[in-house]
Amino acid sequence: MGIMKGNDKMKPTKKMTSPQEKRIPHKSKIPSASPRPSKTSRAQHHQNASNQKQERLLGLVLNLNKSRKHLGEKIRRQTDELHLKDGLLRRGADLLQQSDEQIRLLTQAIESAADGVFIINVQKSNFPIIYSNPAFRTMTGYTKQAVMGLSYFTLYGTDPDLRLITEIKQTIRQKGYFTEELPNFKQNGTRYWCQLRLTPVRDASGTVAHYTGIQTDVTFMRQQDLEIHEQRDELLHVTRVGKLAEFVSSLAHEISQPLTAILSYTQAAQRVLADREPQIREILQYISNDDVRAIEVIRRLRSLLKKSVPEIKPLDLNTLIQDTLALVATDAMIRNVRLNSELSPGLPPINGDRIQLQQVLLNLISNSFDAMENSPTDRLLSIRTTRKDNTAFIVTITDTGCGIPATNLPKLFTHFFTSKADGLGMGLSISRSIVEAHGGRLTGENNPERGATFIFTLPMKRKGPQ
Amino acid sequence: MSWSSTKRQIFIVDDDESIGRALSLLLGTYGFKVKTFLNAEQFLKWVPKKARGCLLLDYHLPGWNGQETQRRLRASGSKLPIVMITADKDESLKAEILKAGAVGFLQKPFNDKDLVAALSRAFESQ
Repeated sequence: MGIMKGNDKMKPTKKMTSPQEKRIPHKSKIPSASPRPSKTSRAQHHQNASNQKQERLLGLVLNLNKSRKHLGEKIRRQTDELHLKDGLLRRGADLLQQSDEQIRLLTQAIESAADGVFIINVQKSNFPIIYSNPAFRTMTGYTKQAVMGLSYFTLYGTDPDLRLITEIKQTIRQKGYFTEELPNFKQNGTRYWCQLRLTPVRDASGTVAHYTGIQTDVTFMRQQDLEIHEQRDELLHVTRVGKLAEFVSSLAHEISQPLTAILSYTQAAQRVLADREPQIREILQYISNDDVRAIEVIRRLRSLLKKSVPEIKPLDLNTLIQDTLALVATDAMIRNVRLNSELSPGLPPINGDRIQLQQVLLNLISNSFDAMENSPTDRLLSIRTTRKDNTAFIVTITDTGCGIPATNLPKLFTHFFTSKADGLGMGLSISRSIVEAHGGRLTGENNPERGATFIFTLPMKRKGPQ
Repeated sequence: MSWSSTKRQIFIVDDDESIGRALSLLLGTYGFKVKTFLNAEQFLKWVPKKARGCLLLDYHLPGWNGQETQRRLRASGSKLPIVMITADKDESLKAEILKAGAVGFLQKPFNDKDLVAALSRAFESQ
């Protein structure tokens, strides 16, 4: 830049003239008011003037040098300052660039996060959502436009848990953190479970105008937890049922022993009496008959609890139903239930296990009896057999009971599902398994007016070799 | 068919004392001579190799069950005919027992006539 250095010494040469120097000759041309000197004094005077001029010139040069040095230093200082400022500017620009990149990265990270991230404005009374990432929108089913400005508590459904909402609002008022696993609702009303974390966003002054929410969809995990819980309950139930079955089985054995003895005693007594005491013999016969009936009940109970290999044989369905109705006739009388059967005559035999199918009938009839327990009048159980296109038989059991609550319908045939306080929840599920093992179907529905109807189908026995 | 089988010997092995007593009374009316045992060990220890008559054997016994008793009796060389009695309706067990040489299989409770018919068949088989 051609800046002169401070230590450069300027030599008073004619070539290096300054405007001040140039003015000097003009000054010398100013006419003097003094009388004209002699030749010597004129020379002396000339000399003096020349010396003065030189001194003045030297002084000027010195001043000039000083000024130049000062200016040089000033320029140098300013240059240094400029360098410094330039460096600061460059650093500032770098930082700005870095900051931009950081913001871009953070935005990308939040936008591509698997968790739902959202920001709510907590200074407005309705807590509007002012930012949401795509995962949040996928989770909730809202579009970007729809979610913008939406009150955060809309996610808590049309019938929200007010206790929970109050708790969240209170936490926000206290600028606190909130974490909980809770249910939220998508735009279409579907419920999902999320692990929610609400965190206050503080500005430099410590004011909280926003909250960041992060929510993880834990519906699947929760469902699995529930399933595990249910399975554990089921397992406990199975164990209990298993133990109960063992107990009942051994109880049945213990009861059948004295019943067998009673039968032999009565038969012996009848024989001892031979032709004597007809009245006593008649009484003994009644004892014997009831003993056999009690033994039958025990045997049925044992066969219910025992896993036996099914005996598939040709069966007359109507006879099986009549036999079953005979078994429940006493119970029906006690419960004040009328039994009605409409059995289609001349049905060809079916292939099935008599005990298993009787178990299905007994179970459905017993359920109907229970359902009619609180019916004030007209307790009627109807069993009907019909044919279906020469391919299957249809057995319909209708009652006039309390019907099946709508919420129970989907779970009706699930293992261990029961609406009875003392039920095991095995009857209908076993019945369906038996009917399906026979190639049929078992369904249940409510009647239009009152009670319920259970229908099961059984395939007709095929002609020719089985 | 005559049911009067005077002095024909019946051995009853049943852990239920009442059943043993009731069957003794009942079979007594048919002229059978009855001796009861509460378990298989007691009977096998007592029974002579050449004993004659018929064994009415309960399947569910403490210790050796009916099947094991049947095997041990045959192993001892006894040809005493056996009628097995059980409270179970188990067709495969029935087949197994009959295959192993029992002459009858009755499910409790049994009719006195069915019982005597089974015992008569047993005697006829000797």
